Amino acid sequence: MTIANSTELICFVVLAAVVVLGSLGVVLLSNIVYSAFLLGGVFMAVAGLYLLLNASFVAAAQVLVYVGAVNVLILFAIMLVNKREDLKPVEGLQLRRLLSGGVCAGLLILLVRVVVSTPWAVPGPAAIGEGATERIGEHLFTDYLLPFELASVLLLMAMIGAIVLARRDVLEADVGTGDAVDQGLIEKPSTPLLVDQSTR
Amino acid sequence: MFVLPGYDAFLGFLLIATAVPVLALVTNKLVAPRSRAGERQLTYESGMEPMGGAWIQFNIRYYMFALVFVIFDVETVFLYPWAVAFHRLGLLAFIEALIFIAILVVALAYAWRKGALEWS
Repeated sequence: MTIANSTELICFVVLAAVVVLGSLGVVLLSNIVYSAFLLGGVFMAVAGLYLLLNASFVAAAQVLVYVGAVNVLILFAIMLVNKREDLKPVEGLQLRRLLSGGVCAGLLILLVRVVVSTPWAVPGPAAIGEGATERIGEHLFTDYLLPFELASVLLLMAMIGAIVLARRDVLEADVGTGDAVDQGLIEKPSTPLLVDQSTR
Repeated sequence: MFVLPGYDAFLGFLLIATAVPVLALVTNKLVAPRSRAGERQLTYESGMEPMGGAWIQFNIRYYMFALVFVIFDVETVFLYPWAVAFHRLGLLAFIEALIFIAILVVALAYAWRKGALEWS
């Protein structure tokens, strides 16, 4: 076994351990802020796995979009609704746990069957490694030019939709029922930037 | 097969970067005098005294910045392969990227017009 191979193996084991343990932490920890930060760690480890698979562009996109954007949005959403109230115990918890455990075990069996029955050694073209990003750029600006430009239109739509939904000053009443919309999301002109919960 | 070249430097960087905070904390523990009195218990000792709890609810206003940031973050992902292959793509791709950015400048203008970028 060469040094490169053993380095790859060690990196894979460490990253896989981080992914598995971090995901367990995301699900099991009771403090939701810790869960969100752990989710960021899991995303980073998945980006490291992409790097190990010679997909540097996917890894960069993973860090940019998931860690930089999605996880930040999750954290913001948690901090916006950060009411520390105790959760009510659910009735029939044992039965629910048993049922979801059964579903998860079924999924696991299905996945194991897929893993066992898949012929993994498929001969393909050699990985091009670092040149992949360049290749993606070439394809993006020749074959996939129209989808590329349409993506900007899609982003424009997403921006307008996000602003309209977040500001909500255009919707005075609910479209369906006609009741007054919950106006809590509309920005007040002169509220302080940090709202201390203890003063409420 | 691990074929990405140049990532051995990245691995070394990662190891050193993880060593820095560990070393800093360990040295702090070894060298710093131990006292548990007074301001030692504060979150930050040499600045203003912290007020209230750290678990506060943030204003909804910050969410707007996060939303706008996400859009331009995704735009960066699209521009990244163009930047890498810039020399091989030539003038036409430059104009195409300009069109792409121009459409997103419209989004920026909309956000600006709607006051999504207002801080105060």
